[in-house]
Amino acid sequence: MSSVLSIQHISKSYGPIQALRDVSFDVPEGSVFGVLGPNGSGKTTLLGILLDVLLANSGTYSWFGGMDPARARRDIGALLETPNFYHYLSAFNNLEITAAIKQKGTDDRNRVLQQVGLFERRDSSFQTFSLGMKQRLAIGAALLGGPKVLVLDEPTNGLDPAGIAEIRDLIRKLSNEGITVIIASHLLDEIEKVCTHVAILKTGKLLLHGPVDEVLRSEDQVEVRAADMTLLQQSLQAMPGIRKMRLADATLQLTCDASVMPEHINEFCAGKGITLSHLLLKKKSLETKFMELTN
Amino acid sequence: MNYMNKLIAIEWLKIKRYRTFWVLTGLFLLLLPLWNVEVANGFLKIGGAGKNSMNFLSTAYSFPQVWGNLGFWGSIFIMFISILVIIITTNEYTFRTNRQNVIDGWTKMQFLQGKAMLVVIFSLAATCYLFLLGMVFGAVNSGSLSSLFSEFNQVIYFFLLSLDYLGFALFLSVWIRKSGLAIGLFLLYSMIIENILKGIINHYSDKPFGNLLPLQASDELLPFPLMQMAKNLMSGGATLSLTTYAVATLGWCGLYYFGSRQLLLRNDW
Repeated sequence: MSSVLSIQHISKSYGPIQALRDVSFDVPEGSVFGVLGPNGSGKTTLLGILLDVLLANSGTYSWFGGMDPARARRDIGALLETPNFYHYLSAFNNLEITAAIKQKGTDDRNRVLQQVGLFERRDSSFQTFSLGMKQRLAIGAALLGGPKVLVLDEPTNGLDPAGIAEIRDLIRKLSNEGITVIIASHLLDEIEKVCTHVAILKTGKLLLHGPVDEVLRSEDQVEVRAADMTLLQQSLQAMPGIRKMRLADATLQLTCDASVMPEHINEFCAGKGITLSHLLLKKKSLETKFMELTN
Repeated sequence: MNYMNKLIAIEWLKIKRYRTFWVLTGLFLLLLPLWNVEVANGFLKIGGAGKNSMNFLSTAYSFPQVWGNLGFWGSIFIMFISILVIIITTNEYTFRTNRQNVIDGWTKMQFLQGKAMLVVIFSLAATCYLFLLGMVFGAVNSGSLSSLFSEFNQVIYFFLLSLDYLGFALFLSVWIRKSGLAIGLFLLYSMIIENILKGIINHYSDKPFGNLLPLQASDELLPFPLMQMAKNLMSGGATLSLTTYAVATLGWCGLYYFGSRQLLLRNDW
Protein backbone atom coordinates (compact mmCIF):
# COMPACT_ATOMS: atom_id res chain seq x y z
CA MET A 1 0.00 0.00 0.00
CA SER A 2 1.52 3.36 -0.95
CA SER A 3 1.14 6.25 1.44
CA VAL A 4 -0.75 9.49 0.83
CA LEU A 5 1.09 11.26 3.61
CA SER A 6 4.54 10.82 5.02
CA ILE A 7 5.57 12.63 8.20
CA GLN A 8 9.25 12.86 9.10
CA HIS A 9 10.59 13.97 12.47
CA ILE A 10 8.19 16.85 13.06
CA SER A 11 8.82 18.89 16.20
CA LYS A 12 7.06 22.05 17.29
CA SER A 13 7.15 24.17 20.39
CA TYR A 14 5.08 27.10 21.58
CA GLY A 15 7.66 29.00 23.58
CA PRO A 16 8.65 26.73 26.46
CA ILE A 17 5.92 24.20 25.71
CA GLN A 18 6.97 21.33 23.50
CA ALA A 19 3.84 20.51 21.51
CA LEU A 20 5.31 17.83 19.24
CA ARG A 21 8.49 15.83 19.69
CA ASP A 22 10.00 14.13 16.68
CA VAL A 23 6.81 12.65 15.27
CA SER A 24 7.13 10.39 12.23
CA PHE A 25 4.61 8.07 10.58
CA ASP A 26 3.01 7.31 7.24
CA VAL A 27 -0.65 7.27 6.36
CA PRO A 28 -1.43 4.44 3.90
CA GLU A 29 -3.72 5.14 0.97
CA GLY A 30 -7.30 4.11 1.54
CA SER A 31 -6.96 3.82 5.30
CA VAL A 32 -9.11 5.40 7.96
CA PHE A 33 -6.34 6.75 10.12
CA GLY A 34 -7.12 7.78 13.67
CA VAL A 35 -4.88 10.25 15.45
CA LEU A 36 -5.57 9.76 19.12
CA GLY A 37 -4.51 11.53 22.20
CA PRO A 38 -5.84 13.26 25.28
CA ASN A 39 -6.53 16.99 25.26
CA GLY A 40 -3.35 18.93 24.61
CA SER A 41 -1.45 15.99 23.18
CA GLY A 42 -0.66 17.81 19.95
CA LYS A 43 -3.27 16.37 17.57
CA THR A 44 -4.50 19.69 16.25
CA THR A 45 -0.98 21.12 16.16
CA LEU A 46 0.12 18.20 14.02
CA LEU A 47 -2.80 18.61 11.61
CA GLY A 48 -2.23 22.38 11.52
CA ILE A 49 1.34 21.79 10.41
CA LEU A 50 0.27 19.27 7.78
CA LEU A 51 -2.18 21.85 6.43
CA ASP A 52 0.41 24.63 6.44
CA VAL A 53 -1.27 26.99 8.89
CA LEU A 54 1.28 26.27 11.62
CA LEU A 55 5.04 26.20 11.24
CA ALA A 56 7.05 23.23 12.44
CA ASN A 57 10.35 23.96 14.17
CA SER A 58 11.87 21.02 12.38
CA GLY A 59 10.88 18.03 10.31
CA THR A 60 9.10 17.62 7.01
CA TYR A 61 5.98 16.10 5.56
CA SER A 62 4.88 15.27 2.06
CA TRP A 63 1.47 14.68 0.56
CA PHE A 64 0.91 12.31 -2.36
CA GLY A 65 4.60 11.49 -2.66
CA GLY A 66 5.87 15.06 -2.73
CA MET A 67 3.22 17.12 -4.51
CA ASP A 68 3.38 20.91 -4.07
CA PRO A 69 1.65 21.41 -0.70
CA ALA A 70 -0.83 24.09 -1.81
CA ARG A 71 -1.74 22.02 -4.87
CA ALA A 72 -2.13 18.97 -2.66
CA ARG A 73 -4.44 20.84 -0.28
CA ARG A 74 -6.87 21.47 -3.11
CA ASP A 75 -7.40 17.69 -3.18
CA ILE A 76 -7.70 17.47 0.59
CA GLY A 77 -10.93 18.25 2.37
CA ALA A 78 -10.10 19.47 5.82
CA LEU A 79 -11.83 20.58 8.97
CA LEU A 80 -9.38 21.97 11.52
CA GLU A 81 -10.44 22.82 15.06
CA THR A 82 -13.44 25.04 14.31
CA PRO A 83 -15.76 25.61 11.35
CA ASN A 84 -14.33 28.75 9.70
CA PHE A 85 -16.70 30.67 7.47
CA TYR A 86 -17.71 34.21 6.58
CA HIS A 87 -20.41 34.95 9.14
CA TYR A 88 -22.42 37.24 6.90
CA LEU A 89 -22.58 34.84 3.94
CA SER A 90 -25.05 32.01 3.50
CA ALA A 91 -23.97 28.38 3.53
CA PHE A 92 -24.34 28.33 -0.24
CA ASN A 93 -22.22 31.44 -0.81
CA ASN A 94 -19.58 30.31 1.65
CA LEU A 95 -19.19 27.12 -0.32
CA GLU A 96 -18.79 29.18 -3.48
CA ILE A 97 -15.59 30.61 -2.00
CA THR A 98 -14.38 27.18 -0.93
CA ALA A 99 -15.01 25.83 -4.43
CA ALA A 100 -13.23 28.79 -6.04
CA ILE A 101 -10.12 28.34 -3.89
CA LYS A 102 -10.10 24.61 -4.51
CA GLN A 103 -10.67 25.34 -8.21
CA LYS A 104 -13.59 22.92 -8.30
CA GLY A 105 -16.96 23.51 -9.85
CA THR A 106 -19.66 25.22 -7.81
CA ASP A 107 -22.30 22.77 -9.05
CA ASP A 108 -21.22 20.31 -6.38
CA ARG A 109 -22.63 22.49 -3.61
CA ASN A 110 -26.15 21.09 -3.53
CA ARG A 111 -24.85 17.55 -3.32
CA VAL A 112 -22.64 18.20 -0.29
CA LEU A 113 -25.30 20.29 1.44
CA GLN A 114 -27.74 17.43 1.02
CA GLN A 115 -25.14 14.99 2.28
CA VAL A 116 -24.72 16.90 5.55
CA GLY A 117 -28.41 17.72 5.88
CA LEU A 118 -28.20 21.47 5.36
CA PHE A 119 -29.84 21.75 1.95
CA GLU A 120 -32.99 23.37 3.34
CA ARG A 121 -30.91 25.94 5.20
CA ARG A 122 -28.52 26.71 2.38
CA ASP A 123 -29.62 30.33 2.04
CA SER A 124 -29.38 31.11 5.76
CA SER A 125 -26.34 33.06 6.80
CA PHE A 126 -23.64 31.20 8.70
CA GLN A 127 -24.10 33.31 11.83
CA THR A 128 -27.65 31.96 12.29
CA PHE A 129 -26.42 28.36 12.46
CA SER A 130 -26.23 26.28 15.63
CA LEU A 131 -22.89 24.76 16.61
CA GLY A 132 -23.90 21.42 15.13
CA MET A 133 -24.99 23.01 11.87
CA LYS A 134 -21.72 24.91 11.60
CA GLN A 135 -19.88 21.65 12.09
CA ARG A 136 -22.01 20.03 9.40
CA LEU A 137 -21.26 22.85 7.00
CA ALA A 138 -17.53 22.45 7.66
CA ILE A 139 -17.79 18.74 6.87
CA GLY A 140 -19.78 19.60 3.75
CA ALA A 141 -17.09 22.06 2.67
CA ALA A 142 -14.47 19.36 3.19
CA LEU A 143 -16.41 17.04 0.88
CA LEU A 144 -16.70 19.63 -1.87
CA GLY A 145 -15.25 18.64 -5.20
CA GLY A 146 -14.55 15.03 -4.23
CA PRO A 147 -11.31 15.13 -2.22
CA LYS A 148 -8.80 12.28 -2.27
CA VAL A 149 -8.10 12.71 1.43
CA LEU A 150 -10.28 13.97 4.25
CA VAL A 151 -8.69 15.47 7.34
CA LEU A 152 -11.19 15.75 10.16
CA ASP A 153 -10.24 17.26 13.49
CA GLU A 154 -12.81 16.29 16.11
CA PRO A 155 -15.54 16.01 13.45
CA THR A 156 -18.31 15.15 15.89
CA ASN A 157 -17.84 18.25 18.06
CA GLY A 158 -21.19 19.76 18.79
CA LEU A 159 -23.16 17.06 17.01
CA ASP A 160 -26.11 15.25 18.54
CA PRO A 161 -26.07 11.43 18.78
CA ALA A 162 -27.85 11.11 15.44
CA GLY A 163 -25.32 13.47 13.89
CA ILE A 164 -22.43 11.45 15.32
CA ALA A 165 -23.88 8.26 13.85
CA GLU A 166 -24.34 10.00 10.50
CA ILE A 167 -20.72 11.11 10.44
CA ARG A 168 -19.58 7.61 11.29
CA ASP A 169 -21.65 6.19 8.43
CA LEU A 170 -20.34 8.89 6.12
CA ILE A 171 -16.73 8.04 6.98
CA ARG A 172 -17.38 4.35 6.32
CA LYS A 173 -19.04 5.14 3.03
CA LEU A 174 -16.24 7.44 1.87
CA SER A 175 -13.66 4.91 2.95
CA ASN A 176 -15.42 2.28 0.84
CA GLU A 177 -15.15 4.65 -2.09
CA GLY A 178 -11.38 4.63 -1.62
CA ILE A 179 -10.98 7.99 0.08
CA THR A 180 -8.33 8.17 2.77
CA VAL A 181 -9.65 9.63 6.01
CA ILE A 182 -7.44 11.08 8.73
CA ILE A 183 -9.43 11.69 11.85
CA ALA A 184 -8.22 13.22 15.10
CA SER A 185 -10.25 12.66 18.17
CA HIS A 186 -10.22 12.02 21.88
CA LEU A 187 -13.50 10.13 21.57
CA LEU A 188 -12.09 6.64 21.30
CA ASP A 189 -15.38 4.99 20.79
CA GLU A 190 -15.85 7.01 17.65
CA ILE A 191 -12.41 6.13 16.31
CA GLU A 192 -12.54 2.47 17.25
CA LYS A 193 -15.68 1.90 15.26
CA VAL A 194 -14.28 3.19 11.99
CA CYS A 195 -10.49 3.22 12.00
CA THR A 196 -8.18 0.82 10.25
CA HIS A 197 -5.02 2.48 11.58
CA VAL A 198 -4.16 4.55 14.63
CA ALA A 199 -1.40 6.74 15.95
CA ILE A 200 -1.45 7.56 19.63
CA LEU A 201 0.04 10.83 20.88
CA LYS A 202 0.74 11.90 24.41
CA THR A 203 2.18 15.32 25.28
CA GLY A 204 3.57 15.59 21.79
CA LYS A 205 5.20 12.19 21.65
CA LEU A 206 4.11 9.44 19.32
CA LEU A 207 3.57 6.45 21.60
CA LEU A 208 2.72 3.94 18.91
CA HIS A 209 1.16 3.65 15.51
CA GLY A 210 0.03 1.00 13.08
CA PRO A 211 -3.00 -1.02 11.99
CA VAL A 212 -5.69 -1.18 14.68
CA ASP A 213 -5.63 -4.97 14.99
CA GLU A 214 -1.86 -4.95 15.45
CA VAL A 215 -1.90 -2.20 17.99
CA LEU A 216 -4.71 -3.90 19.86
CA ARG A 217 -3.51 -7.45 19.29
CA SER A 218 -2.66 -7.70 22.94
CA GLU A 219 -4.48 -9.69 25.53
CA ASP A 220 -8.20 -9.88 26.03
CA GLN A 221 -9.63 -9.32 29.43
CA VAL A 222 -12.04 -11.22 31.62
CA GLU A 223 -14.24 -9.47 34.14
CA VAL A 224 -15.43 -11.29 37.24
CA ARG A 225 -17.54 -10.39 40.24
CA ALA A 226 -18.56 -12.31 43.31
CA ALA A 227 -20.22 -11.56 46.63
CA ASP A 228 -16.90 -11.62 48.46
CA MET A 229 -14.47 -9.75 46.30
CA THR A 230 -11.54 -10.09 48.69
CA LEU A 231 -11.84 -13.81 48.77
CA LEU A 232 -12.20 -13.89 44.99
CA GLN A 233 -9.07 -11.86 44.53
CA GLN A 234 -7.06 -14.00 46.94
CA SER A 235 -8.23 -17.20 45.34
CA LEU A 236 -7.53 -16.11 41.79
CA GLN A 237 -4.01 -15.12 42.69
CA ALA A 238 -3.32 -18.82 42.93
CA MET A 239 -4.74 -19.58 39.51
CA PRO A 240 -2.17 -20.29 36.80
CA GLY A 241 -2.39 -18.33 33.55
CA ILE A 242 -3.57 -15.10 35.08
CA ARG A 243 -1.04 -12.40 34.46
CA LYS A 244 -2.57 -9.31 35.87
CA MET A 245 -5.43 -8.40 38.11
CA ARG A 246 -7.04 -5.06 38.62
CA LEU A 247 -9.95 -4.15 40.84
CA ALA A 248 -12.11 -1.40 39.40
CA ASP A 249 -15.73 -0.49 40.06
CA ALA A 250 -16.16 -3.55 42.29
CA THR A 251 -15.20 -5.72 39.33
CA LEU A 252 -12.04 -7.71 39.00
CA GLN A 253 -10.39 -7.31 35.62
CA LEU A 254 -8.16 -10.21 34.70
CA THR A 255 -5.53 -10.27 32.01
CA CYS A 256 -4.96 -13.89 31.13
CA ASP A 257 -2.92 -16.07 28.86
CA ALA A 258 -4.61 -16.99 25.62
CA SER A 259 -5.15 -20.53 26.92
CA VAL A 260 -7.35 -19.38 29.78
CA MET A 261 -11.01 -19.36 28.85
CA PRO A 262 -13.84 -17.97 30.93
CA GLU A 263 -15.09 -21.48 31.69
CA HIS A 264 -11.71 -22.29 33.26
CA ILE A 265 -12.06 -19.38 35.59
CA ASN A 266 -15.59 -20.35 36.45
CA GLU A 267 -14.48 -23.89 37.15
CA PHE A 268 -11.54 -22.75 39.24
CA CYS A 269 -13.70 -20.47 41.36
CA ALA A 270 -16.38 -23.11 41.82
CA GLY A 271 -13.66 -25.41 43.05
CA LYS A 272 -12.79 -22.82 45.70
CA GLY A 273 -16.42 -22.53 46.70
CA ILE A 274 -16.96 -19.13 45.14
CA THR A 275 -20.03 -18.47 43.03
CA LEU A 276 -19.44 -15.84 40.37
CA SER A 277 -22.16 -13.26 39.93
CA HIS A 278 -20.57 -11.86 36.79
CA LEU A 279 -18.29 -13.36 34.18
CA LEU A 280 -17.54 -11.54 30.99
CA LEU A 281 -14.94 -11.93 28.26
CA LYS A 282 -13.99 -8.50 27.09
CA LYS A 283 -12.17 -7.86 23.86
CA LYS A 284 -9.61 -5.28 24.70
CA SER A 285 -10.99 -1.92 23.74
CA LEU A 286 -9.04 0.92 22.32
CA GLU A 287 -10.08 2.85 25.35
CA THR A 288 -8.39 0.43 27.71
CA LYS A 289 -5.26 0.41 25.62
CA PHE A 290 -5.33 4.14 25.43
CA MET A 291 -5.72 4.52 29.17
CA GLU A 292 -2.86 2.13 29.74
CA LEU A 293 -0.63 4.02 27.38
CA THR A 294 -1.44 7.52 28.40
CA ASN A 295 -1.67 7.14 32.16
CA MET B 1 -2.88 37.68 -15.33
CA ASN B 2 -5.19 34.73 -14.99
CA TYR B 3 -3.63 34.12 -11.57
CA MET B 4 -4.47 37.65 -10.42
CA ASN B 5 -7.96 37.47 -11.90
CA LYS B 6 -8.71 34.39 -9.85
CA LEU B 7 -7.53 36.06 -6.65
CA ILE B 8 -9.61 39.13 -7.33
CA ALA B 9 -12.66 37.07 -8.22
CA ILE B 10 -12.43 35.35 -4.83
CA GLU B 11 -11.91 38.62 -2.95
CA TRP B 12 -14.99 39.92 -4.73
CA LEU B 13 -17.01 36.89 -3.61
CA LYS B 14 -16.01 37.74 -0.06
CA ILE B 15 -17.14 41.36 -0.14
CA LYS B 16 -19.91 41.64 -2.67
CA ARG B 17 -22.56 40.54 -0.19
CA TYR B 18 -21.03 42.33 2.78
CA ARG B 19 -23.18 45.21 3.93
CA THR B 20 -20.39 47.12 5.68
CA PHE B 21 -18.50 47.22 2.37
CA TRP B 22 -21.43 48.83 0.59
CA VAL B 23 -22.22 51.25 3.41
CA LEU B 24 -18.67 52.58 3.75
CA THR B 25 -18.10 52.72 0.00
CA GLY B 26 -21.46 54.41 -0.46
CA LEU B 27 -20.68 56.99 2.20
CA PHE B 28 -17.37 57.76 0.51
CA LEU B 29 -19.02 58.10 -2.89
CA LEU B 30 -21.84 60.24 -1.51
CA LEU B 31 -20.13 62.46 1.03
CA LEU B 32 -17.08 63.47 -0.98
CA PRO B 33 -19.06 65.32 -3.69
CA LEU B 34 -21.65 66.61 -1.21
CA TRP B 35 -18.93 68.14 0.95
CA ASN B 36 -17.27 69.74 -2.05
CA VAL B 37 -20.53 71.14 -3.39
CA GLU B 38 -20.99 72.88 -0.04
CA VAL B 39 -17.45 74.22 0.03
CA ALA B 40 -17.68 75.36 -3.57
CA ASN B 41 -20.92 77.21 -2.95
CA GLY B 42 -19.74 78.74 0.29
CA PHE B 43 -22.24 76.95 2.53
CA LEU B 44 -19.28 75.49 4.36
CA LYS B 45 -16.85 78.25 5.22
CA ILE B 46 -13.42 76.85 5.70
CA GLY B 47 -10.56 79.21 6.37
CA GLY B 48 -12.93 82.12 6.93
CA ALA B 49 -15.54 83.21 9.46
CA GLY B 50 -18.57 85.40 9.35
CA LYS B 51 -21.17 85.68 6.69
CA ASN B 52 -19.33 88.08 4.44
CA SER B 53 -15.83 86.79 4.89
CA MET B 54 -13.84 85.90 1.84
CA ASN B 55 -14.09 82.22 0.97
CA PHE B 56 -10.78 81.35 -0.63
CA LEU B 57 -11.55 77.72 -1.12
CA SER B 58 -14.66 78.26 -3.15
CA THR B 59 -12.44 79.68 -5.87
CA ALA B 60 -10.44 76.47 -6.11
CA TYR B 61 -12.95 74.50 -8.17
CA SER B 62 -11.92 75.57 -11.62
CA PHE B 63 -9.21 73.99 -13.69
CA PRO B 64 -6.45 73.38 -12.83
CA GLN B 65 -6.74 74.04 -9.02
CA VAL B 66 -9.67 71.63 -8.77
CA TRP B 67 -7.32 68.63 -8.85
CA GLY B 68 -5.26 69.67 -5.86
CA ASN B 69 -8.31 70.83 -3.96
CA LEU B 70 -10.33 67.68 -4.52
CA GLY B 71 -7.19 65.63 -3.88
CA PHE B 72 -6.84 67.23 -0.46
CA TRP B 73 -10.45 66.50 0.52
CA GLY B 74 -10.08 63.02 -0.94
CA SER B 75 -7.11 62.46 1.36
CA ILE B 76 -9.44 62.95 4.32
CA PHE B 77 -12.34 60.95 2.95
CA ILE B 78 -10.03 58.05 2.06
CA MET B 79 -10.22 57.26 5.81
CA PHE B 80 -13.56 55.55 5.12
CA ILE B 81 -11.85 53.20 2.71
CA SER B 82 -8.86 52.68 5.01
CA ILE B 83 -11.20 51.58 7.77
CA LEU B 84 -12.98 49.35 5.28
CA VAL B 85 -9.65 47.68 4.41
CA ILE B 86 -8.98 47.13 8.11
CA ILE B 87 -12.44 45.63 8.66
CA ILE B 88 -12.23 43.34 5.65
CA THR B 89 -8.77 42.10 6.60
CA THR B 90 -9.31 41.68 10.34
CA ASN B 91 -12.60 39.90 9.60
CA GLU B 92 -10.52 37.11 8.15
CA TYR B 93 -8.74 36.72 11.47
CA THR B 94 -11.95 36.97 13.46
CA PHE B 95 -13.70 34.35 11.33
CA ARG B 96 -10.43 32.38 11.03
CA THR B 97 -11.09 32.26 7.32
CA ASN B 98 -7.45 33.23 6.72
CA ARG B 99 -6.67 29.75 7.99
CA GLN B 100 -9.47 28.17 6.03
CA ASN B 101 -8.34 29.82 2.77
CA VAL B 102 -4.92 28.22 3.22
CA ILE B 103 -6.39 24.89 4.31
CA ASP B 104 -8.52 24.92 1.17
CA GLY B 105 -5.51 25.39 -1.08
CA TRP B 106 -4.19 28.93 -1.07
CA THR B 107 -0.63 29.72 -0.11
CA LYS B 108 -0.12 32.32 2.60
CA MET B 109 1.23 34.62 -0.09
CA GLN B 110 -1.96 34.30 -2.11
CA PHE B 111 -3.89 35.46 0.92
CA LEU B 112 -1.70 38.57 1.08
CA GLN B 113 -1.73 39.12 -2.68
CA GLY B 114 -5.53 39.00 -2.71
CA LYS B 115 -5.71 41.75 -0.12
CA ALA B 116 -2.94 43.76 -1.79
CA MET B 117 -4.88 43.58 -5.05
CA LEU B 118 -7.91 44.96 -3.21
CA VAL B 119 -5.79 47.87 -2.00
CA VAL B 120 -4.63 48.61 -5.54
CA ILE B 121 -8.12 48.31 -6.99
CA PHE B 122 -9.72 50.47 -4.28
CA SER B 123 -7.01 53.08 -4.90
CA LEU B 124 -7.57 53.00 -8.65
CA ALA B 125 -11.33 53.20 -8.23
CA ALA B 126 -11.09 56.12 -5.78
CA THR B 127 -8.73 57.91 -8.18
CA CYS B 128 -11.08 57.39 -11.13
CA TYR B 129 -13.93 58.70 -9.03
CA LEU B 130 -11.90 61.73 -8.04
CA PHE B 131 -11.09 62.32 -11.70
CA LEU B 132 -14.79 62.17 -12.59
CA LEU B 133 -15.69 64.60 -9.81
CA GLY B 134 -12.88 66.92 -10.92
CA MET B 135 -14.19 66.92 -14.47
CA VAL B 136 -17.68 67.81 -13.28
CA PHE B 137 -16.61 70.52 -10.80
CA GLY B 138 -14.06 71.90 -13.23
CA ALA B 139 -16.50 72.00 -16.13
CA VAL B 140 -19.11 73.78 -14.02
CA ASN B 141 -16.70 76.34 -12.58
CA SER B 142 -14.21 77.01 -15.36
CA GLY B 143 -14.60 79.20 -18.35
CA SER B 144 -12.42 77.04 -20.54
CA LEU B 145 -10.93 73.58 -20.58
CA SER B 146 -7.56 74.82 -21.77
CA SER B 147 -5.78 74.33 -18.43
CA LEU B 148 -7.51 71.04 -17.68
CA PHE B 149 -4.37 68.95 -17.54
CA SER B 150 -1.81 71.45 -16.28
CA GLU B 151 -1.98 70.17 -12.69
CA PHE B 152 -3.05 66.70 -13.62
CA ASN B 153 -0.15 65.05 -11.77
CA GLN B 154 -2.17 65.75 -8.63
CA VAL B 155 -4.57 63.04 -9.72
CA ILE B 156 -1.60 60.67 -9.83
CA TYR B 157 -0.62 61.93 -6.37
CA PHE B 158 -4.05 61.00 -5.13
CA PHE B 159 -3.53 57.48 -6.38
CA LEU B 160 -0.22 57.32 -4.51
CA LEU B 161 -1.85 58.73 -1.40
CA SER B 162 -4.65 56.15 -1.54
CA LEU B 163 -2.12 53.38 -1.99
CA ASP B 164 -0.22 54.71 1.02
CA TYR B 165 -3.24 54.94 3.32
CA LEU B 166 -4.81 51.65 2.28
CA GLY B 167 -1.46 49.85 2.28
CA PHE B 168 -0.77 51.16 5.78
CA ALA B 169 -4.24 49.97 6.85
CA LEU B 170 -3.53 46.52 5.42
CA PHE B 171 -0.17 46.26 7.13
CA LEU B 172 -1.66 47.33 10.45
CA SER B 173 -4.44 44.72 10.10
CA VAL B 174 -2.03 41.91 9.33
CA TRP B 175 0.10 42.96 12.27
CA ILE B 176 -2.61 43.64 14.89
CA ARG B 177 -5.26 41.15 13.67
CA LYS B 178 -7.92 42.64 15.96
CA SER B 179 -10.46 44.89 14.31
CA GLY B 180 -11.12 47.43 17.07
CA LEU B 181 -7.51 47.82 18.09
CA ALA B 182 -6.32 48.18 14.50
CA ILE B 183 -8.92 50.87 13.72
CA GLY B 184 -8.09 52.67 16.96
CA LEU B 185 -4.38 52.62 16.26
CA PHE B 186 -4.91 53.69 12.68
CA LEU B 187 -6.90 56.75 13.72
CA LEU B 188 -4.56 57.59 16.59
CA TYR B 189 -1.51 57.25 14.39
CA SER B 190 -2.84 59.18 11.43
CA MET B 191 -4.27 62.04 13.48
CA ILE B 192 -2.03 62.33 16.53
CA ILE B 193 1.00 60.09 16.81
CA GLU B 194 2.40 60.95 13.41
CA ASN B 195 2.02 64.67 14.06
CA ILE B 196 3.90 64.34 17.34
CA LEU B 197 6.71 62.41 15.65
CA LYS B 198 6.78 64.80 12.74
CA GLY B 199 7.06 67.77 15.08
CA ILE B 200 9.95 66.25 16.99
CA ILE B 201 11.88 65.21 13.89
CA ASN B 202 11.36 68.49 12.08
CA HIS B 203 12.38 70.44 15.17
CA TYR B 204 15.74 68.68 15.38
CA SER B 205 16.65 68.38 11.70
CA ASP B 206 17.60 71.08 9.19
CA LYS B 207 15.24 69.71 6.57
CA PRO B 208 11.65 68.62 7.27
CA PHE B 209 12.44 64.92 7.32
CA GLY B 210 9.50 64.40 9.65
CA ASN B 211 7.33 64.93 6.59
CA LEU B 212 8.62 61.66 5.23
CA LEU B 213 6.78 59.60 7.85
CA PRO B 214 4.46 56.91 6.40
CA LEU B 215 1.21 58.81 5.91
CA GLN B 216 2.66 62.33 6.02
CA ALA B 217 4.81 61.65 2.96
CA SER B 218 1.74 61.33 0.78
CA ASP B 219 -0.15 64.05 2.64
CA GLU B 220 2.64 66.39 1.52
CA LEU B 221 1.74 65.59 -2.08
CA LEU B 222 -1.72 67.06 -1.57
CA PRO B 223 -1.50 69.80 1.08
CA PHE B 224 -4.39 71.86 2.36
CA PRO B 225 -5.03 74.33 -0.48
CA LEU B 226 -4.82 77.41 1.77
CA MET B 227 -1.53 76.17 3.10
CA GLN B 228 -0.26 76.01 -0.44
CA MET B 229 -1.33 79.57 -1.04
CA ALA B 230 0.32 80.70 2.18
CA LYS B 231 3.52 78.88 1.31
CA ASN B 232 3.61 80.52 -2.08
CA LEU B 233 3.25 83.90 -0.41
CA MET B 234 5.84 83.39 2.29
CA SER B 235 8.39 81.16 0.59
CA GLY B 236 11.62 80.42 2.38
CA GLY B 237 12.35 77.60 4.81
CA ALA B 238 13.83 74.32 3.76
CA THR B 239 11.50 72.03 1.83
CA LEU B 240 11.66 68.69 0.14
CA SER B 241 10.64 68.22 -3.46
CA LEU B 242 7.40 66.58 -4.51
CA THR B 243 9.45 63.90 -6.22
CA THR B 244 11.05 63.08 -2.88
CA TYR B 245 7.61 62.69 -1.32
CA ALA B 246 6.36 60.59 -4.21
CA VAL B 247 9.37 58.29 -3.99
CA ALA B 248 9.04 58.09 -0.20
CA THR B 249 5.36 57.16 -0.58
CA LEU B 250 6.18 54.37 -2.98
CA GLY B 251 8.94 53.24 -0.65
CA TRP B 252 6.50 53.00 2.25
CA CYS B 253 4.05 51.03 0.10
CA GLY B 254 6.82 48.56 -0.68
CA LEU B 255 7.63 48.28 3.01
CA TYR B 256 4.00 47.63 3.94
CA TYR B 257 3.91 44.76 1.49
CA PHE B 258 7.25 43.35 2.51
CA GLY B 259 6.49 43.78 6.21
CA SER B 260 3.11 42.06 5.87
CA ARG B 261 4.77 39.25 3.97
CA GLN B 262 7.31 38.70 6.74
CA LEU B 263 4.61 38.75 9.40
CA LEU B 264 2.49 36.25 7.51
CA LEU B 265 5.25 33.84 6.58
CA ARG B 266 6.97 33.79 9.94
CA ASN B 267 4.03 33.39 12.25
CA ASP B 268 1.54 30.67 13.00
CA TRP B 269 -1.95 31.37 11.71
